[in-house]
This record gives sequence, structure tokens and C-alpha cells, in this order.
Amino acid sequence: MKHQPFEEWLLNDTPLSHAQKRELDLHVRSCAYCSALLETEKVLHSVRMAVPAEGFTVRFQARLAERRLAERRRRLWGSVLFLLGGALFLLWLLAPSLFAVLASPQAWVASLVKWGIFLVTTLQAATQAAVVVLRVIADLMPPFAWLILLSAFAGMSLIWSISIWRFTRVPQGV
Amino acid sequence: MTDEKTWVLQAQQGSDEAFTQLVETYQKPVYNLCYRMLGEPELAEDAAQETFLRAYQGLHRYDASRPFGTWILSIAAHYCIDNLRRKKFAMFSMDIETDDGATFELPDASAPDPETESVRKEQRDRLHLLLKKLDATDRAAVILRYWYDFSEVEIANSLNLTVSAVKSRLHRSRRALAGMWQEEPSPARPERRAYETPAF
Repeated sequence: MKHQPFEEWLLNDTPLSHAQKRELDLHVRSCAYCSALLETEKVLHSVRMAVPAEGFTVRFQARLAERRLAERRRRLWGSVLFLLGGALFLLWLLAPSLFAVLASPQAWVASLVKWGIFLVTTLQAATQAAVVVLRVIADLMPPFAWLILLSAFAGMSLIWSISIWRFTRVPQGV
Repeated sequence: MTDEKTWVLQAQQGSDEAFTQLVETYQKPVYNLCYRMLGEPELAEDAAQETFLRAYQGLHRYDASRPFGTWILSIAAHYCIDNLRRKKFAMFSMDIETDDGATFELPDASAPDPETESVRKEQRDRLHLLLKKLDATDRAAVILRYWYDFSEVEIANSLNLTVSAVKSRLHRSRRALAGMWQEEPSPARPERRAYETPAF
């Protein structure tokens, strides 16, 4: 049996003229498939909404709280594992030095003191040099150059702060 | 600004109360979609809850130019489709309204008489069973079209399909439903429940 154009009419919910409606009615009476198509269409147009059991929102809040707690625990465990891993990695890196320290502690302390003195004297020398250079530059540079330099420094700081804020912002949610 | 937009904005700023208002407003449509997709009240409840959790987590991604309802139904549809694809569901049990009140349909105030309403309800239950035999995406398209009056464009946006694909899926589903409607006999009328009065 030919289903066209009746099937198309039914599938597309085509608005029909009186003559077309009569034609469709006649066809549907003799065609089981188109009759089923029409019947399912009617049922689909009379569907109802199923509603959840009472207290859906309360259950949602409980589930949200549970999920947040689980997320916090997960983050805590993540941090602990990360720190533990870092500590182990550091230990692995420092293992040769540690063995050396344990083998001759006096020699290690002496070299540490020597290195510390070197560091302090170097820093003092560098500071004095920087002070001298700054004094010379301050006399040479005009005020507007200082203004430009400070503005550039402030701008860079602002960009840096915004970048940190954007990257570290925690998205809304659990 | 409408209440809904205010709630969304407040929820995006971290207000749990505002999000609760959204849950209160959309619990029925979301639950209904999940119920029609998954077929079981327990699964539907779980899916609806998960939908709201996902919406909550993804609120910062919500595009305010889109209706919130369309967005959340889209999340629910995708969740249910993924769920159905992951699991090979066994034949569903007959889960027409349960006596313990786990699932109800909203009553129809304009119902002409109990007998006609009973026949219609039987037909709806039958359709509900047939829907479960459709492909997950086809089922979602049919539900969005007939339960929510979504246009083909809205369905396409919600399910990430083209409009022509939606049209073709809707036609295919309608043909399949008609075929099954023809083939499968109408289920026997259920046993009369204790609280029901006899017809005669």
C-alpha cells in the first residue's frame, strides 16, 4: 500500500485542508501503518510530565555537601601525596651530599662556613657597587625618565598580578 | 532582569541559595527528561541530581544569552545518552506509576472522564515502554520535541546535531514507534489496585 503523501503529512505535522483531511481519514481506515502513525502522534501530543518524589532539592543539597567534602578530601590527599613525592625526590637528589656529610661532618661544616662568608662578602660588594651606580644614574637621568620607568614598572606589576589572579582563580563549583 | 537571570547571576557569584532556587524551578523538567530517557524512577532521580551537580560545576561556562532551561536540559540529555551508551540496559521492568508514589504524572485537570483518562494513560504507558527501544539520541530528540515543545533548531543545539539530522532522527523514531505500535499488542489492563473503585 502506498503511504505517500499521508506519511509525510503525518510526520511533518502538515496543516491540512478539509479535502486532505478527508483523504487522510479514508487512507488511515484502510492502512494499519498510517493508523499507528496517527495514533502514536496523538499519544505523543498528550504526554505528561513525570515529577520527582518530594524533597528533591533537599536531597540535592545533601549530595552537593557530600560531593564538596569528597572533593576537599581528594585535594587534601593530592596535596599530601604531592608534598611527599617532592620530599622523596629532594631526598633522592641530595642523597650523594648527605652521604658525604655523614662521612666527614667537620669538613662539610668548614666548607659551608667558607661558602657563607664568600656569599656575604660578594653581596656586600655588589650592594656597594649598585649604590654607586644608582647615585650616578640619578644625577644623569631627567625626572620624566624616572616617571616613565616607574610607570612601566607599575604596569608590569599590574599585568603580573592579573596573570596570577587569572591562573589561580578557582572556578565556581565543588 | 527576570528572577531566573538574577538567580543564575547570583549562583555564578557563589550563592547556594540562588542555585537552590534554580533546582526548585527546574527539578520537574529535568527529572521528567531523565525518567523518559532512562525509564526507571531511581535512575532518573540519580541522573537528575547529577545533572544539577554538573550544572553547578559548569556554571562559569554557562552562556547567559541562552535560556537556562535549554542549557540544563541539554546537560541532562547528554548525561542520559552517555549513561545509556555505557550501560547495556536489560529490559526495563514495568515501571508505570508505582504504588509507593516514587513517580507520578501530573494530574490532568481537564480529563473528560475516568474511563477515557484510563485508556489514555494506558496508551501513554505503552508509548513509554516503546520509547525505551529507540536509540538514545533518537529518544532524546523525541522527548525534547514532544515533552518540551523544542523546535528542531533547539533540539539540534541541545544535542549537538544538525537540523537535518534532527529532522531525520525524528522521522525515523516516529516510523519506528508506529511500527512497534502496530506489532506489539496493547498490554493487558493492570490488576485493579486496592484503592481503586470498580467501574460498575
